[in-house]
Amino acid sequence: MSELLKLRRRGLLLGGGGLLLGFTALFTILGIENATKGATRGRGFHVTVAELSKPDGLVRGIERASTLMGIVMLGIFAAAFGTEYTTGMLRNLLVREPRRVKFLTGKYLALLVFAVVIVLVACIVSIVLALALAPGKGIDTSAWTSSTGIADTWRAVWHLLVAALGYGTVGAALAIIFRSPVAALAIGVAWILPAEAILSALWSNGQYWLPGQLLSNFASGGSSSVSLARTGLTLVVYWAIIAVGTSMLFSRRDVAT
Amino acid sequence: MATPVGWRVPRAEPLPGDLLAHDDLRPTPVAGSQTMTTAAAPPSGGLAVTTTGLTKRYGARAVVDAIDLELPRGVISGFVGPNGAGKTTTLRMLLGLIRPSAGTGEVLGHSITDPASYLARVGALIESPAFYPTMSGRRNLEILAVLGRHDRRRVTTLLAQVGLGDRGGDVFKSYSLGMKQRLGIAAALLPDPELLVLDEPTNGLDPAGIREVRALLRELADDGLTVLVSSHLLGEIQTICDHLVVIDAGQLRYQGAIDGLISAQTAEVVAIPEHATDLKRLAAICTEAGHPCRIEDGAVHAPAPPEWAPELNRLAMRQEITLAALSVSRGTLEDAFFAITDTEGHQILAHAPETEVAA
Repeated sequence: MSELLKLRRRGLLLGGGGLLLGFTALFTILGIENATKGATRGRGFHVTVAELSKPDGLVRGIERASTLMGIVMLGIFAAAFGTEYTTGMLRNLLVREPRRVKFLTGKYLALLVFAVVIVLVACIVSIVLALALAPGKGIDTSAWTSSTGIADTWRAVWHLLVAALGYGTVGAALAIIFRSPVAALAIGVAWILPAEAILSALWSNGQYWLPGQLLSNFASGGSSSVSLARTGLTLVVYWAIIAVGTSMLFSRRDVAT
Repeated sequence: MATPVGWRVPRAEPLPGDLLAHDDLRPTPVAGSQTMTTAAAPPSGGLAVTTTGLTKRYGARAVVDAIDLELPRGVISGFVGPNGAGKTTTLRMLLGLIRPSAGTGEVLGHSITDPASYLARVGALIESPAFYPTMSGRRNLEILAVLGRHDRRRVTTLLAQVGLGDRGGDVFKSYSLGMKQRLGIAAALLPDPELLVLDEPTNGLDPAGIREVRALLRELADDGLTVLVSSHLLGEIQTICDHLVVIDAGQLRYQGAIDGLISAQTAEVVAIPEHATDLKRLAAICTEAGHPCRIEDGAVHAPAPPEWAPELNRLAMRQEITLAALSVSRGTLEDAFFAITDTEGHQILAHAPETEVAA
């Protein structure tokens, strides 16, 4: 409850939430506006009108925004956990709630609730934008509202939500380990973007084990090489390791700042 | 900011009405603002804090080295020591923030290995007051109140009590150091504590604020609360505390009544002869009586018990020396502090003396 009070800050809602909404809206708009009638023109946001007219076309935009959405979520979680260390507020909080695992769990759950809300809001904004912009580009949206389309949309939102929470969990774990939001964000972003890109290029099995690759794969609903089930299972194992490790570290480590 | 009223402590239920309208809420002067003559800490309430061999090591260095604390209930205990003496580390161990390397301890009858069993009854301000900088003072207190399952209505009352009633809505980072300190004290009072631990509570406060804190602490102790105050301001400690703990280099140097420590310091008999030409003869009398002395500013200073002053007067009269003035200069807490924290040539007192020197 106390963490939810803290999360009601205007700065966080406008900053973190706004960034998330901005990215998803941008990717949705670019995806639809750049849709072409014929074949796609190389890399980027280009998809064809035909592809967007499929049942899963509605969520193409938010799927493409998943990595950036994840980075934002990593930053929000890292800030929420790391700021307690840098401000020294942690000692106040732990004097009032000395059961550290309970404190950590409560804080994490509050952030999960916050994350679910802003990801869902971002998805809704993306869907509304897509529905509004599609007719102007000649995209047939009838498949989007079919039962298959609705099921695909729910599934995509669910995958995106889990991936976003996964990125957030990584941010929280890094903030607890490094006791700094800046360090957590810098290391997290450096790992997920350039480091994993290099590692996956050098290591053919990297897509099975690298957390950023797995989260990205889960957000896009799995791939032909790594199934969604395998990706999900690996992520659950990682989550359990992170939960146990950070809980032990947090409950045993001195609060000397 | 409005002039704060006296920092009366709100108990569990909020105080009704306009606090300014209550005469009894004005700051009350602290009795005995000079050398305290109150008795030693009353032991009737038992001990609020005890430790045995409490130790904290970082690598090979012992920051706190086998401290045996005994803090009586219902009194204000001062916790003093030079920078880096281990005061804050000790307080952190008592509050469950850091784990001792060795030793045991109890706070309010519960082991410090289980801080959840007693921290609901403990209020604390450790080091500088730390809060979320971009949130208001009020919101910061509300977060702590919700987290600690305390009555949120106390937030408004406490903000008013510490003189932040009209600034509670301002963001913490806009506060002056004194206002931050006041907010820290309000946070410490949130749980309506039995034990209040304050680390440098007057840091950054103006003289009026310091006086208010002093009055507040006295009032808290009068209500039966146990207060542990860490401070560098020895004069402040001497004024407000009944009981004293001195540590240096992680080791306990003294614990007991402040009066006991000050009394243990050798007083100085100061005699001024009517004629300056008698100074050397007067000094010789002191030396012959077993009290080697020095001559300074036209007076003879002889370290000696206060009761020796009449004897010096008689000895001087026998030698036909008329004294223009005869006085006893007592030691201060500062003198005592430096005596027991200076390991080069001073005897270290580990406990209060068994008998006190008569005043």
